[in-house]
Amino acid sequence: MTRYAMVVDLRRCVGCQTCTAACKHTNATPPGVQWRWVLDVEAGEFPDVTRTFVPVGCQHCDEPPCETVCPTTATKKRADGLVTIDYDLCIGCAYCSVACPYNARYKVTRDTPAYGEGRMPNEVKRADPARIGVATKCTFCSDRIDYGHAHGLVPGVDPDATPACANACIASALTFGDIEDPDSKASRLLRENEHFRMHEELGTGPGFFYLWEKKQ
Amino acid sequence: MTVSSPQGTTKVATYCYQCVAGPDLLKVKVEDGVATAVEPNFDAEDVHPAAGRVCVKAFGLVQKTYNPNRVLQPMKRTNPKKGRHEDPHFVPISWDEALDTIGAKLRGIRETGLLDASGYPRVAASFGGGGTPTAYMGTFPALLAAWGPVDMSFGSGQGVKCYHSEHLYGELWHRAFIVCPDTPRSKYILSFGSNIEASGGVCGIWRHAAARVEQGVKRVQFEPHLSVTGGCSAEWVPIKPKTDAACMHALIHVMLFENARSRLDIDFLKHRTASPYLVAPNGFYLRDPDTRKPLVWDLKTGRAVAFDTPDIDPALDGDFIASGLEVLPDAELVTHEGVAVRSAFGKLLDHERGFTPEWAQGICDVPAATIRRVANEYLDHAEIGATIEIEGRALPYRPVAVTLGKTVNNGWGGYDCCWARTLMACLVGALDVPGGTIGTAVRLNRPANDRQSSAKPGVDGFMDYPFNPTDKENWISRPQIRNANRTLVPLVANSAWSAALGPTHLAWMQQRHGFESFPEPTQPDVWFFYRTNPVISFWDTPQVAEAVAKFPFVVAFSYTRDETNHFADILLPDCTDLEGLQMLRIGGTKYVEQFWDHQGFALRQPAVPPQGDTRDFTWISTELARRSGILDIYNKAINRGAAGVPLKGPNYDFSLQPDRAYGVEEIWDASCRAASAELTEGAEDHGLEWWKEHGFRTIEYPRLQWYLYPHLVDQGLRFEMPYQERIYRIGEELGRRLHESGIDWWDRQLTEYRPLPEFHDFSHLIKHAVISNLGGRDEDFPFWLLTARSMQYSWGGNVSLQMVREVAANVKGHRGVIMNPTAARKLGIEDGDLVEVRSPLRETRGRVVLRQGIRPDTLLMVGQFDHWITPYAKDFDVPSMNALVPMLMDLTDATGSAADIVPVSIKRIGGTQ
Repeated sequence: MTRYAMVVDLRRCVGCQTCTAACKHTNATPPGVQWRWVLDVEAGEFPDVTRTFVPVGCQHCDEPPCETVCPTTATKKRADGLVTIDYDLCIGCAYCSVACPYNARYKVTRDTPAYGEGRMPNEVKRADPARIGVATKCTFCSDRIDYGHAHGLVPGVDPDATPACANACIASALTFGDIEDPDSKASRLLRENEHFRMHEELGTGPGFFYLWEKKQ
Repeated sequence: MTVSSPQGTTKVATYCYQCVAGPDLLKVKVEDGVATAVEPNFDAEDVHPAAGRVCVKAFGLVQKTYNPNRVLQPMKRTNPKKGRHEDPHFVPISWDEALDTIGAKLRGIRETGLLDASGYPRVAASFGGGGTPTAYMGTFPALLAAWGPVDMSFGSGQGVKCYHSEHLYGELWHRAFIVCPDTPRSKYILSFGSNIEASGGVCGIWRHAAARVEQGVKRVQFEPHLSVTGGCSAEWVPIKPKTDAACMHALIHVMLFENARSRLDIDFLKHRTASPYLVAPNGFYLRDPDTRKPLVWDLKTGRAVAFDTPDIDPALDGDFIASGLEVLPDAELVTHEGVAVRSAFGKLLDHERGFTPEWAQGICDVPAATIRRVANEYLDHAEIGATIEIEGRALPYRPVAVTLGKTVNNGWGGYDCCWARTLMACLVGALDVPGGTIGTAVRLNRPANDRQSSAKPGVDGFMDYPFNPTDKENWISRPQIRNANRTLVPLVANSAWSAALGPTHLAWMQQRHGFESFPEPTQPDVWFFYRTNPVISFWDTPQVAEAVAKFPFVVAFSYTRDETNHFADILLPDCTDLEGLQMLRIGGTKYVEQFWDHQGFALRQPAVPPQGDTRDFTWISTELARRSGILDIYNKAINRGAAGVPLKGPNYDFSLQPDRAYGVEEIWDASCRAASAELTEGAEDHGLEWWKEHGFRTIEYPRLQWYLYPHLVDQGLRFEMPYQERIYRIGEELGRRLHESGIDWWDRQLTEYRPLPEFHDFSHLIKHAVISNLGGRDEDFPFWLLTARSMQYSWGGNVSLQMVREVAANVKGHRGVIMNPTAARKLGIEDGDLVEVRSPLRETRGRVVLRQGIRPDTLLMVGQFDHWITPYAKDFDVPSMNALVPMLMDLTDATGSAADIVPVSIKRIGGTQ
């Protein structure tokens, strides 16, 4: 079995948003749509304050609430852990957006160029009408993963088979990989470090693990 | 040039050098001739220090190319009136008309004379981004070199937005234009306001992230607000603004007086610093009368001997009776017989004795217990006596470092903090050794690409330093450029960088009123500027605008309309990052935290065709050279290497013929062949096509070159610490020269030339300087206004890019004024309220962003915005502190810089949107 997941080292992340930008480039998301982004979280009161940067996005849950509420079966769970949306089936009802506890889904109802009316050549080139009026979200760059499998590459190891955000991270804070493979870097990091998942209590089984301290 | 990608499109290798933390090597995905994405260049994974990763700013380059607001054809102004509220009425013109107009101006200047009646260059040029525009302006540096005197003294942010004191004192003390930790080997870092996670680029972030996790480095961040770096540090200490010097003195006090002397690196202090040098009664070294070498007290023989006498044990501390010669300013000699002298280290002890943690607590608002603990932790981690092997050579290993941020190390207090930082390294033998506080680059000394070679033996066992002369015969009494750098600042030296590192605001200030006993201020006949927007990025920006509006002929290399080219006469649209062609030297040790195991060259090549009628900068430069009648010397300058690589070497010659106007690809093909030959001692001569395909080519760079210490040992040299005899002498001499010329308006700056920094409460000093010059009462301005770098924007010139705006908004503070909630509550201010922030100079408006991570007496405006012309950015409605900070002589330190800080008030003027 394969279970792809993202392992985030909170000690490394600096909130630079390079992953955010790389995702926007690779997936050509329109203005305001960020399938990957980094929260800037402050806790405590002056002078005892901490500031933490937390990459977020679709958690590719084991039990995705978005799948449960989808009336058209557009949202599905793949055998390798990825949660997908079939834009042909999606009717844009947005139940999934409401159901997602991670605020990970977007729906845009019209073409929104970066600069008002006219679209730039790159926007023309990358425009995808199939994404208008439907739910979208992080795919873990499933096209790259699938390309990798087809060409003998290892997701999480070979850049061409790895999500763009993990490729781009300048702090090595994002590690993508198969956590069912004990030899993957993702598995090693989980073994060696204390970690948590977001809203674990909801039972969604997120495929997003946050490292915060080395195991004693 | 291209490789197959998963999607079957093409990828073009190039680089991003929009900020000093670059260059980043990257690839551009091109689909049917359209650039669609930027990604890391994994071909460079084993070569680049951050494994080929790319900064967030580089991802803006696609939008930068296709931004509909670009200037895409040459334009000329048709409204002769210049002013903020005057529409320039720019109209499109042909390249021929634009270049002929400029060429005629330049030819006229050559016929009239390159200098005006005041002796200032008639042509001036300003560039932004810490020198990085040279990575985009092709052969324009060769044009400037061919031209002759060009005034580069009109600052666009230098002095107030850079690490100014560090640049000058860092080069003096350890050839460190930039100072940083040897991060991969460090275990304890004290950071005074250094926001490295925002300003260190991919290499800095990569190194520090690894250090935090893999080697457990502890970094303590002293800073008035909880910056990105503070958030990533083990501990945040919210120090009162601009009081870092007091804290650092107290740290030194604890090390000197509350710890056993054996916890210091005694051997390093005795033999690698000037600590044992004896100081004579007038404050200068006691010297051997014959050789004039400084004397030390030899414990073995019980007498004073020259510092370099073999087999001695110099006393570190103590009072002695000795005879010798004292050389006063202007070579005045005093002979001493049996006089009481004290070692430099002894002088240091006297100087630091009163700087207790309890004393510092009252100034910097940091608990004495914290100062004490941090000082002791620093010593605990220093590992005195440890060694590490680097490429077969055993070097000291001292895994402790101290770094300074820009508002800490520029303006008043900069000298003190740079000195204290360097001294703290010396106390434990951690200066420019593995694990310690090290330098990255030289810009004032030469050669610029090799720190070690620049460290040549000088007087008194120290490295030589190219001070500008202060003796009576050679002092440059008549300024050569409008900021008078070589006249007023001996430390700024005389390299290509020295103009930009002088007191650059003096050039602007003189446009409003001249200085007594100085040449009549004049305007440049022609002013070029590129990749800078000083009407936004300097201090007292309305005053800069007022000055620029009076310049008679301004040529702006323009990406979009902006606040400075609003006053231009001609706009020239150059090819941007993904459209132009250029070769760049990479590797070695550079700028912020670039430490490579390789060196070589990278190519910036057109990934896509130029938009509109934009032209390659090299084409523009060649045409300007041709039309101004200097084509031959321009080509010769390229041959000498003015465009980045000498075209002739011991084993190769790809020189251009002087009288021919070469095409862009011809010039860079020759550069590519020369670069290949330089790297391989003539074995390779790959041309442009090879470089387009491969993107970069490197050879190994020895890691021993990362550290200055082994070079100093080999040369028998010492670090010039702790006592600053040379600084003291040149300051005295400079004062005499200025007074002999009737100049007393630089007297305050002269007070900084002390052998050991004289402590002032710089926070109080700055507030007093502002209020005494501009009026008001202390209590009317209870807050300090600061700024912080934004990684997404810094140096990038990318405020007009939608994507950058979008992703930057995820980092708090990009939309307003950061304020402490408790302080806000007292003033009835809530999150999102519209507020007016007023300094004694003027006021600005913005929305409040409440954050706990800031002192109650401090406000923060991230980045530099406040645009009123630049498309897209003009709609941000985000304030900038730049308009609120005055240009004042009283705020200017001896190096010619001032700090990014101003006292302000804040009041609510409206509710949330």
